[in-house]
Amino acid sequence: MTGDRKPPAINNAAPNQASRTKLNRRKFLAKTGGVLAAGAFGAVPLRGWAADAINIGALYPTTGSMAQIGTGCVAAAKLAVDMVNEAGGIKSLGGAKLNLIVSDVQSDTTVTRTETDRLITGNKLSAIHGCYASALTLIASEVCERAHVPIITGSSSDQLNKGRSYTFTPFARASQFAKAQLQMAKLVSEQAKVAVIFENTAFGTSTSNGLKELAPGEGVEIVMFEPYSAGFTDASPLINKVKASGANTLFSLSYLNDLILIVRTVKQVGLDIAINGGSGGFVMPDFYKNVGKAAEGLQGVAHWNHDVNEDAQKVNAEFRKRTGEFAFEYAGGLVAQTFMLADALERAASADPKKVREALSTLDVSSGYAAMAPGGKVKFGPDGKNVYGRPVGVQWQNADLASIFPKEDARAPLMKT
Amino acid sequence: MWETLAQAVINGLLIGGIYALVSIGVTLIFGVVKIVNFAQGEFVMIGMYISFFLATQFGIDPLVSLVVSMPVLFLAGVVIQHFLIRRVLGPNDMPQIFLTFALSLLLLNLSLMLFSANYRTVHTSYSDSAWHIGGLYIPVAKLIAFAVAMALSGLLWVFLRTTDLGRAMRAASQNRDVAMLMGINPNRVFAVAFGTALALAGAAGSLLMPFYSAYPFVGQVFVLMAFVAVVMGTLGNVMGALVASLMMGIAESLGIQFVGADSGLIVVFGLLLLTLAFRPSGLGARRGR
Repeated sequence: MTGDRKPPAINNAAPNQASRTKLNRRKFLAKTGGVLAAGAFGAVPLRGWAADAINIGALYPTTGSMAQIGTGCVAAAKLAVDMVNEAGGIKSLGGAKLNLIVSDVQSDTTVTRTETDRLITGNKLSAIHGCYASALTLIASEVCERAHVPIITGSSSDQLNKGRSYTFTPFARASQFAKAQLQMAKLVSEQAKVAVIFENTAFGTSTSNGLKELAPGEGVEIVMFEPYSAGFTDASPLINKVKASGANTLFSLSYLNDLILIVRTVKQVGLDIAINGGSGGFVMPDFYKNVGKAAEGLQGVAHWNHDVNEDAQKVNAEFRKRTGEFAFEYAGGLVAQTFMLADALERAASADPKKVREALSTLDVSSGYAAMAPGGKVKFGPDGKNVYGRPVGVQWQNADLASIFPKEDARAPLMKT
Repeated sequence: MWETLAQAVINGLLIGGIYALVSIGVTLIFGVVKIVNFAQGEFVMIGMYISFFLATQFGIDPLVSLVVSMPVLFLAGVVIQHFLIRRVLGPNDMPQIFLTFALSLLLLNLSLMLFSANYRTVHTSYSDSAWHIGGLYIPVAKLIAFAVAMALSGLLWVFLRTTDLGRAMRAASQNRDVAMLMGINPNRVFAVAFGTALALAGAAGSLLMPFYSAYPFVGQVFVLMAFVAVVMGTLGNVMGALVASLMMGIAESLGIQFVGADSGLIVVFGLLLLTLAFRPSGLGARRGR
C-alpha cells in the first residue's frame, strides 16, 4: 500500500547532485519555518511531504463481529478521499492528493493497539480516522496521542474528550444522546411514561444510568427500569412486563439481535407503544432489512443523518450508487471528517501531523462538506469536542431514516404510530 | 395477575419446545454413542442458514424447508459419525470431547467466514402475527414451531418403541456391550442415532427461522439450555430431556417475569442445582438405581 512512495532522493541520484539538492532543501525548509526542527524525524522532510500524496490512516474493523459497519466506513472513507482529490486535492500543498491507507483492526482491542502502532510507524501519516466502535477508538486514540498523530472520530464515548490533545470528536457525545432521547419521548406524549430496558453489561448499564439521572430534569417519568441478559431466546416475558408497566414509550438499550426480537414481539403482542431504539445498529440500513415493516415509525438518535442538508443528500446519493445502501451515520460523518482534515491541511500548508493537529484545533467551518453535521457548524473546544455538536432524532419512515428532532434539524414531521 | 402468570407459562412452554428439539438430539447421541456433542448448537445454526437461503433464493417457506434441512443434516450426521466419531470411540473420552468441540469451533468460524456476523431474518406472513384470546396472545410462528417440535418428538418416541432399529438404539443406550453381544450392528445404530440427532437440530433451525435471526453464534444461545435440560432430564433419557426442556422454558419465563429480566438463567440454574441435590441422576432416572 505504501509502495508508491518515492525513496529518498539521496539514494538514487548522482552523489554531488544529491548533496546539492539536500542542501538546498535544508535551506528552504529552515526558511519556511523549520519543519525539520519540528521533530526528531531527522531526514524525513527530505522524502518530500510537499509534492507527494498525503497519507491518511483509516482504522476500521473489516473482519470480525463489527465488520459490517466497518466495511461501510471504509467505503465512505474512499468516497470522501475521491471527493477531495477530484476537487483538486490540497491546494496549499500544490494540489497534493489524499492517499487513504486502510488497516483492519479486526473488531479486537489488542489488534487495534498493534495495528495503530504499525500504521503509524510504517507510514508517514498526516492524520488518522477511525474506528467507529468506541471500545476500539479509545485504544487507537491512546496510541495516536503518544505518537503525536491527530485522530478524528465519529465515536461518541465521552471518555475520548478527557485528557487528550490529539483526539477530535466533531459529533454529538454519548451524554447528549440520552438527553435527546428523553426530549423525544415528549414528542409522543406530554405525560411521557418511559420504560427503560437495557442489557446488563457496560454499554446498557452506563447508558441507562445516564437516562435515569437526566429524566427528572426533562420532565419524563420512568415507570420501568429493567436490566436483562443479552442474547435471550425469547423477548415475550420482558415485553409482558413492559405491557404491565403502563408505559407509553419504550427505550431499548440493546444489541441488534435482541432489539430485532423485542420489536417483533411488541408487534405480536399488539402493544401500542412508541419505541426508541437509540443509536448504533438501530440506525443502520440492515436494521430495516431484518425487521421489515415493523420498523416503520420506530425512533432513534444519530450523530449524523443523510437529510441534514443538501451536501449530505449529495453524499448520500453517491454512497447509495456505490454501495446500494443509504449513507448511515458513520459513513456520512466520515465524509465530513475527511473534509475537516482537508480544511486543516489546507490551512496548515503542511503534512506534518503536529501542524495538522494545530490547524484542526483552530478549525471553524459553517459551510461546505466539512460542516455537514447536525447544527451545521464545527469548531473544536480545548477538549477536542465540537462546541456545536448535537445529535439528531430520527424515525424510520418508508424504509428510510428521516430527521424529526430537534425542530431546527427536523426534515420530516413525526409519524404517529 | 393470573393473566400475567398464564402468559408467562405460555411463553415459556412455546420456547421450551425448541429447547426440547436441541436437547433430545444431545441426549440421543449421549445415550447411544456415549459421547457429548458440543457441536449440536452449530447444527441448529446450519439448519437456520439452510432455511434462510431457501427462503431468500427460492422463496420457500422456512417451515416447508424442514423437508430439506432435516435430510441434509441427517446425512451430515451419518457422514460425521462414519468418518470422524467412529475413529475416536474408545476407552479414552478426551479425543471425543476435543473432536466435537473442534467441530463446533470449525463450523462456527467457517460460517463467520462464509456468511459474516450479520443477522439474517426471514419474513413470513405469520412471522409477526399472534392470536389474541381473552387477555392472552399466542404468537403463530412459535405455536407452529412448538406443535411441529412436539410432533417430531412423538414420532421419535414411536420410532424408538416400535421399530427394530429403534429398539436396537434403545438397547444400545441401556447397555451397549450387551446389545452388541445380541448381534446389534453398532456402526449402523450409531450412524442412525447421530443422523437423527442432527436432523432434529436442523428441524429446530428451520422452525426458529420465522421468528428468530440467524447468525453464526446463534447455536450457542440454544445449546446451553439444551445441556441443562439433558442433565436435568437424566443423561440419555429422551422423555426426560423433553419434559426438562419444557420445564426450563417455563422456569426461565417465570424468572424473567417475576424475579427480574436478567435472572432467567439464575432461575434455570438454580432449578438445575436443586434437582441434582435431590435427584442426582436427574428427573428421568428410574427409582431404585
